[in-house]
Amino acid sequence: MLKKILPYVVAVFVLYFSKTSAQEEVDLKFSSIDTTLLKDANAVVLSEDVQIEINAINSITVKNKRIVTVLNKYGRGYANSAEGYDPSIKIKKLEATVYDAYGKETKKYKKKDFKDRSRHDGISLMNDDRMLYFDYTPVDYPYTLVFESEVQKSSTAFITPWLPLLGYRLGVQKSSYTIVNNTDISIRYNETNFEGFPVQKDESDGQRKYTIDRMPSRLREVLSPSYRNTVPMVRATLNEFYLQGVKGAATDWKTMGKWQYDKLLTGRDELSQETINEVGKLTEGLTTKREKAKRIYEYVQGKTRYISVQLGVGGWMPFLASDVDRLGYGDCKALTNYTKALLDSQGILSYYTVVFANERRDIDPDFAAMQGNHVILNIPEEDEDIWLECTSQTAPFDFIGDFTDDRNVLVVTPDGGEIKRTKRYEPEENMLHTQATINLGADASMVAEIKRESKGLEYDWNNGIRFETPKDQKVYYKELWGYVNNLEINSLNFENDVDAITFNEEVKVSCRNYMKKVGSRLLVAPNAFSCDQSNLPKYEDRKMPLEISRGYVNTDEYIIHVPQGYTVSSVPDKKIIETEFGKYSWELEKIDDASLKFKRYLKIKDGTFPKEKYEEYRKFRADIKKIDKSKIVLKQL
Amino acid sequence: MNPINKLLLTGICILSFHISSGQEYKFGKVSKAELEEQSYEADSTANAVILYDKKEVYYEYNPTVRWFLLITEVHRRVKLYNKNGFDYASDDFLLYKNERAEERMSDLKGFTYSLEGGKVIKTKLQKDGIFENEYSENYNQIKFTMPELKDNSVIEYKYKIISPFVYNIDRVVLQDQIPIKKLEVSIKTPEYFNFKKHTTGYLPIDLKETFSNGQFVYVPERTKAADVLKQGGGNVRGQSGFSSKYRGKQNVIDYKITTDNFSMSDIPAFKNEAYSGNINNYVSSVVYELQYTKFGSSIEDYATTWEEIIKKMYSRGDFGGELNKTNYYKEDIDQLVGGISDPIKKAGLIFGYVKQKMNWNGNYRATVQSGVRKAYKEGTGNVADINLMLTSMLNHVGVKANPVLVTSNQKVTSLFPTLGGFDYVITRVKLPNGNSIYLDATDKYGEPNVLPNRVIQGTARIIAENGKSQRLNLRPGKPSLNRSSLQYEIDTDGTIKGKSNMYHLDYLAHNFRDRFGIYDQKSHEKRILKKYEIDELINYEVKGANQLGKPVNERFEFVVEDQIEVIDNEMFFSPLLFLRNKENIFKSDDRRYPVDFGYGFSDVYMVNIKIPEGYQIAELPESGGFKLPDDLGSFSFNAKIVNGMIQISVTETINSALILPEYYPSIKEFYNKIIEKESDQVVLKKI
Repeated sequence: MLKKILPYVVAVFVLYFSKTSAQEEVDLKFSSIDTTLLKDANAVVLSEDVQIEINAINSITVKNKRIVTVLNKYGRGYANSAEGYDPSIKIKKLEATVYDAYGKETKKYKKKDFKDRSRHDGISLMNDDRMLYFDYTPVDYPYTLVFESEVQKSSTAFITPWLPLLGYRLGVQKSSYTIVNNTDISIRYNETNFEGFPVQKDESDGQRKYTIDRMPSRLREVLSPSYRNTVPMVRATLNEFYLQGVKGAATDWKTMGKWQYDKLLTGRDELSQETINEVGKLTEGLTTKREKAKRIYEYVQGKTRYISVQLGVGGWMPFLASDVDRLGYGDCKALTNYTKALLDSQGILSYYTVVFANERRDIDPDFAAMQGNHVILNIPEEDEDIWLECTSQTAPFDFIGDFTDDRNVLVVTPDGGEIKRTKRYEPEENMLHTQATINLGADASMVAEIKRESKGLEYDWNNGIRFETPKDQKVYYKELWGYVNNLEINSLNFENDVDAITFNEEVKVSCRNYMKKVGSRLLVAPNAFSCDQSNLPKYEDRKMPLEISRGYVNTDEYIIHVPQGYTVSSVPDKKIIETEFGKYSWELEKIDDASLKFKRYLKIKDGTFPKEKYEEYRKFRADIKKIDKSKIVLKQL
Repeated sequence: MNPINKLLLTGICILSFHISSGQEYKFGKVSKAELEEQSYEADSTANAVILYDKKEVYYEYNPTVRWFLLITEVHRRVKLYNKNGFDYASDDFLLYKNERAEERMSDLKGFTYSLEGGKVIKTKLQKDGIFENEYSENYNQIKFTMPELKDNSVIEYKYKIISPFVYNIDRVVLQDQIPIKKLEVSIKTPEYFNFKKHTTGYLPIDLKETFSNGQFVYVPERTKAADVLKQGGGNVRGQSGFSSKYRGKQNVIDYKITTDNFSMSDIPAFKNEAYSGNINNYVSSVVYELQYTKFGSSIEDYATTWEEIIKKMYSRGDFGGELNKTNYYKEDIDQLVGGISDPIKKAGLIFGYVKQKMNWNGNYRATVQSGVRKAYKEGTGNVADINLMLTSMLNHVGVKANPVLVTSNQKVTSLFPTLGGFDYVITRVKLPNGNSIYLDATDKYGEPNVLPNRVIQGTARIIAENGKSQRLNLRPGKPSLNRSSLQYEIDTDGTIKGKSNMYHLDYLAHNFRDRFGIYDQKSHEKRILKKYEIDELINYEVKGANQLGKPVNERFEFVVEDQIEVIDNEMFFSPLLFLRNKENIFKSDDRRYPVDFGYGFSDVYMVNIKIPEGYQIAELPESGGFKLPDDLGSFSFNAKIVNGMIQISVTETINSALILPEYYPSIKEFYNKIIEKESDQVVLKKI
């Protein structure tokens, strides 16, 4: 249960957009919008202009003018209604005007009409982010909202990026992004996913401008790459900057890491002699680095818990290790820094590591700037590094799960930053094996004992059930095997082996009517506990590549006892499907007149495939699904 | 006049005495036994348990402002058996504020206790563990988190909330997400503030009422403090004008105190269930509603009878006053209904006009927010802005209409006459033939007598101008209907091709519009493919989605490939195909509060199946049916062969929107049996 996204980057990750007024008039009439932009859209950006002026190492002005036509209630989120700020941001101008479909002004909000409110991130106990916002109840659709703002920021470590295609079902008529650098500080740009997009770039003295025109709306497709990896984005960063009052300089990851180490981490890891002695005692007698690190990790898990507090530079700088030691809680930065301090005290080298958690996203190796939203700990090893998730009280040692697996991260060392890749879980490592003994009754009933063993990411996906209440646990299995009507869960037993990273479930179930009576015969599906329940849509014209983010292997083996007085009329042939996405087999074997053995194997490989392959994969899963639920006939003797 | 001044006219000295209650759980004293405890006896699976939950609410006279303050003291002790219970080591509460005054918190203290080598370690909650946030326009939030937790730690904290809003005692909730071992609540109210109380939930609540006396010293002085006094609540009035006669004098004032005590043990955790309707009504609690204030002989009623409420409501500027304004819409409305005399036509036109013009901002309140005039101009408003405007317009054109006060499904149902219990208002039209029509113009898909769930799952009360009031049941009397037909044929390889035709009527049409009304073709197709898991969808068409009053009709053709099991020379399948119920919507073994479907409903399926060439029917499911007790619902299944085609007709009906918990096992079993019956197989055999 690592599901805790930590606001490593707390401040101002809201996208705000600005624009200067010296521009051609935008036609606000709905009838003037090109119909190709309206297709499948919930909103259309008529025009967006972001103007960023870098005035000094501690002063950036961001001007925004964004004009959005909202076509229906689902498109409301694409029209700006708020500007975020914190103590390092000053909102200088703020204005919003609503126009009806004919381009007639219907409502105007001046800065004083905006309400001031704290911004909850839903996680933190405390943060100092606030926003100015207005509530607008649309009177009619479509309507157009013109939003203008100007903010001045003294933290220059983050420069508002350009993400013109903000999301699905959004058409974009025009969007532009200009950076004017009035200082001598060098600026670095990072352009991603430009291929196939008509982005224009103009450069002149200390100024750069990007423009994109007439982009139709895009629709979400299942199993496609994360949105961010499919749309153009421009990021910029300064070689010298301020972060919440802390001065910095960096040109590459080495220097960026060095700065973070020196300014944000150094001196925050002191521990009392008492604590050091305690940890020393704890690791006494242990010989290997791994053993010691594990003992210390478990000590941290036992002593601390995750609590988020994000104030000012505290959004980037961990609390003191001694504070975590005293309070027994902290956020990802604090807990990681604390674990690192404890390891240090026992001579074990480890590194504070910045990462994008949850949805897989790389720290871009080619663009050294403030990135990431979470922190983990890296212990370098000869063969394979150890990775620790310090915010979890229950994760096994060296187990990061799908929260931070297989992605580029920034490892912060005293010598500077280094990009490393976290552990990748191979399909064979992510194993779920289900064993069952199934007793069928002549009254169509079933009684079964099921044992499931999970390893690797399957461990990650399955072990959370042990934390639920017994009532919810029962409901969970009833939903998992929802295709078995009236399933009764008679007993549940879990065994969590944190050292072997294995989760075992033992479930006893019964069902009054598992089989279907057809005249004197009984119809039964041998695969009672692993029916594929995926339901992948067909696309007439798939646009995105197929991405299977993680692979796995699921195996099943059941002994099925046929009711007395019945026999299997015929045993179907083994079915095997092999594709480039993986392999599937379904097999039924007669042990004797009264019993059968059912075996199932499914391996799904991870990977990215061209969009044409999606339909093949869909077919693969549909075939599996059909075979999975296939039935056999039991005849009365 | 300051209400307290009124007391002086009858001030007689009575000796006061003090009642103290026995305390088993002293703050700061946690027993070793509590720390050693490894699990909770009544529920061994609990990760955390509230060992002790104490709430004391009382009034304190404040000589500086010469007025009462409402004090709430909370003391909580929580046992954390393991890490999964650590979420309960953080807590938070809200402090109300408005332009004039705000609630304050004081004396927040806390300790974590852990056992280490047989020794009790006590760690104090420090300032760095306490945080204050602005939660919303009207609330600040205090959050805190306890330090140094270990498995089996006990945490304990207490705090005080000082509120100038003396007319509002917060609902006392008696249940939590984790069990409560011991709960003690005392609510002390001075004779000046009189509350009615009612309970919610399924737990028996034992309330003891005792009486005692209190005393305070009143020093009247003419100061600006009068303004401070007004903080006492939104609807306090008549507090200006201190009489100089009392200047400089001290008066000892005695008064009576009523104390409500309730004490409960081993309270089970509250669980959310599917189809709960208004969950607020099912969590155990005591609700206090101000009935009247009494200062000497001056009594001000806040709630006595419905008639009083009505009078008050109509005299309020933000309710009755808004009904009387007409000039802001007069011209538009006169033009709209000019020349029409049929009241039903006029009502229909006006209802449509308000629905179209006005846009609900999502706020619930029985009184206006921006006022009808401004709301009309801007085209947006809260519930009262919109429906009072509607009521007024109808009356203006001679259609008899009244507002209906509603407690929505977002609020605890009010059992006593009280203004504060309502958070919604709709409109009733009385037709010349005596029939009533209910309208809610906040709902774009609303129709006469088809109201949104937020209304029908609440409770309502009508107010007529003659002073009569009555409680209303707004739920539809008849189940709403879904009528679906399937016609299909089967290939020799088991592929099914067919047509589906579905009609959704009444509330089910409303539900469809509400959820999918603005879907485009693609979204509908995606929805159908996902819902029914069919392989190919052809010519999907929806009609009537925007024609209120008519059924919604969906038609499509389909191909399904995996519904037929071909074994040897036979085909097996469930004739309802993708329309059959596959999973029971009720999974919990038991249930403590009602199932609330919103409205009754009936699904009727007609299926015609053409069998493939060269096959004959070997088995057909038996026809039959069953019922829920007390006519709550019924199911029937009929299969027959007509002209070589298989004809199946199925009817599933739930007659009652509300199913009481004692019927829960019956309804769960009802669905089990439906699923079983609908999975019965047709067998076709090769000739």
